[in-house]
Amino acid sequence: MTTRLSADQDLVRHLSEVSVSVELQTPDMTLNIGPQHPSTHGVLRLVATVDGERAFNVQPVIGYMHRGYEKLAEVRTYPQITTLVNRIDWVSGYANEVPFIIAAERLLGVEVPERAQFIRLILTEMARIASHLVFNASYPLELGAATPLFFALRERERVLDLLESVTGGRFHPNFNRIGGVKPAQGAGSATRKVIQDLPRGFLAETRAAMDKVLSTVNELEALVAGNEIILARTKGIGLIPPETAAAYGMSGPNLRASGVGFDLRKVSDYLPYTQFDFRVPTGANGDCWDRWWVRLEETRQSASIIQQAIDSIPSGPLLAKVPKIIKIPKGEIYVRAENPKGEMGYYLVSDGGLGPYRLKIRSASFSNLSILPWILEGALIPDIIAIMGSLDFVLGDVDR
Amino acid sequence: MTASPSDTAATSVEGLAAALSDAVGGSYEVAHGTAKVRVEKERWVESLRAARDDFGLIFFSWLSAVDWSNQVEVGDALTETVEERYEVVAAVADISTGLIVLLSTDLDKANPRLASLVGVYAGANWHEREAHEMFGIEFDGHPQLIKLYLPEGFLGHPLRKSYPLLSREVKPWPGKVDVEGMPGQADEDEPSTENPEA
Repeated sequence: MTTRLSADQDLVRHLSEVSVSVELQTPDMTLNIGPQHPSTHGVLRLVATVDGERAFNVQPVIGYMHRGYEKLAEVRTYPQITTLVNRIDWVSGYANEVPFIIAAERLLGVEVPERAQFIRLILTEMARIASHLVFNASYPLELGAATPLFFALRERERVLDLLESVTGGRFHPNFNRIGGVKPAQGAGSATRKVIQDLPRGFLAETRAAMDKVLSTVNELEALVAGNEIILARTKGIGLIPPETAAAYGMSGPNLRASGVGFDLRKVSDYLPYTQFDFRVPTGANGDCWDRWWVRLEETRQSASIIQQAIDSIPSGPLLAKVPKIIKIPKGEIYVRAENPKGEMGYYLVSDGGLGPYRLKIRSASFSNLSILPWILEGALIPDIIAIMGSLDFVLGDVDR
Repeated sequence: MTASPSDTAATSVEGLAAALSDAVGGSYEVAHGTAKVRVEKERWVESLRAARDDFGLIFFSWLSAVDWSNQVEVGDALTETVEERYEVVAAVADISTGLIVLLSTDLDKANPRLASLVGVYAGANWHEREAHEMFGIEFDGHPQLIKLYLPEGFLGHPLRKSYPLLSREVKPWPGKVDVEGMPGQADEDEPSTENPEA
């Protein structure tokens, strides 16, 4: 008995002296996420190498929704292209049309009536609110909180109804014309001349709806901001330093969450934003939480911009005098706009014809998404969902 | 529009483009508020690095190309004969002032090669992959120059002007075949885009 015990002790002593020269590894596993995963907002596929709970070498696979709009634009006339471009980021379809139309107008040299510019501005901000409300609905849901979805989508429906009452479309308004906005339902008819402006009561209803948006945003903030689980899932997760964000061309709320107060509405004159008083919210750390908060705060600012614009909207025509058949003089231009997802721009090369010689579409989500391999390196798998959701991309905007 | 910050913005964009083209030995033009600096392809990376480091243009907006071609399969042919080339265009911006400058360089049709910008702007990675598959431009030094949107094995470079658009080959359009009058609308009468109040 005693000898047995001493043998065990010998073994223990022996084991403690053995040094392991080969490090044991678990074999790497390749994890495929998507293209139909709910958190991918469309059809994004990620191929990641996982070691335990951490992901390395994440490769996004895109192109499932590539529709070739840049090629299609080359065989279309300028007025036909708005139907293509409002399908790029369908969550805020109206906002996509605006920079394209402005690019065409500037090359053509058309002065857009002020009332049309105000209407564009109001509808763009409504599209921004609709887009940010979708984010505020889906992001907490992806983190496990279902309730905010119902608050946010109810409010978004109200905004979309108002957009539809003006443009006739919830997602694809196709409401902009070169020289202004669509003058009236029926006004283009050859047999029936109808002179019609915005629908009766639209401005008053929108003004009231913005108050409701503001109160819903307060509710959303109360629901989400105090939730310990959401705080734990988002604070300090997915940090993006401002220099990295800029090098990847990350723009919009994602860039501002990293502490850069860059907003094209403040520095560019594509729409008369300088007449209104609004703040550009910025985050302190550039984490998922900041990206959520910046969008929430931007929704408030947009509601305020809309109310100011409604109070000061001038009267006048909706459409400048433009030729029936639009030929745009030779030249090239790059026009960008602050869209809900970030910088949306069109590089338009015209050769004096009925359609563009080349139209390069710079969409925000494309650049915002290209940071994924960098930011997901070494991330925990549950954090992948939190980080991707916080970037608020739409695959239509990535693939074009 | 009454307020016009574009006036001041235009002059400073002009100043920026002039200083940048001086520094990198290129030429520049400013039209419609868009500044473009043309540089030699041998100085492409060097020019972008100067833009980033010396001019504060740290924001990489986009990179793409234009196929200048006298023979086009789709779209309208050019009205004047041009020198056949690919023009690569990159847009970089200063996020403190908001100024944006386009840099461009010309590549031979026969051998479109350019040094990659990934070492200067990390965001150039996907844009160069897109230009590679769409125009067939080779980016030397790119870490992973594979197709981005298109499936593996896809033949051709769709954004080249020599690449036909099949749907247009099958059915030429706009053409008579596609024109249908709106219900209740007089025949062959184009919708008026004139302002009814004017």
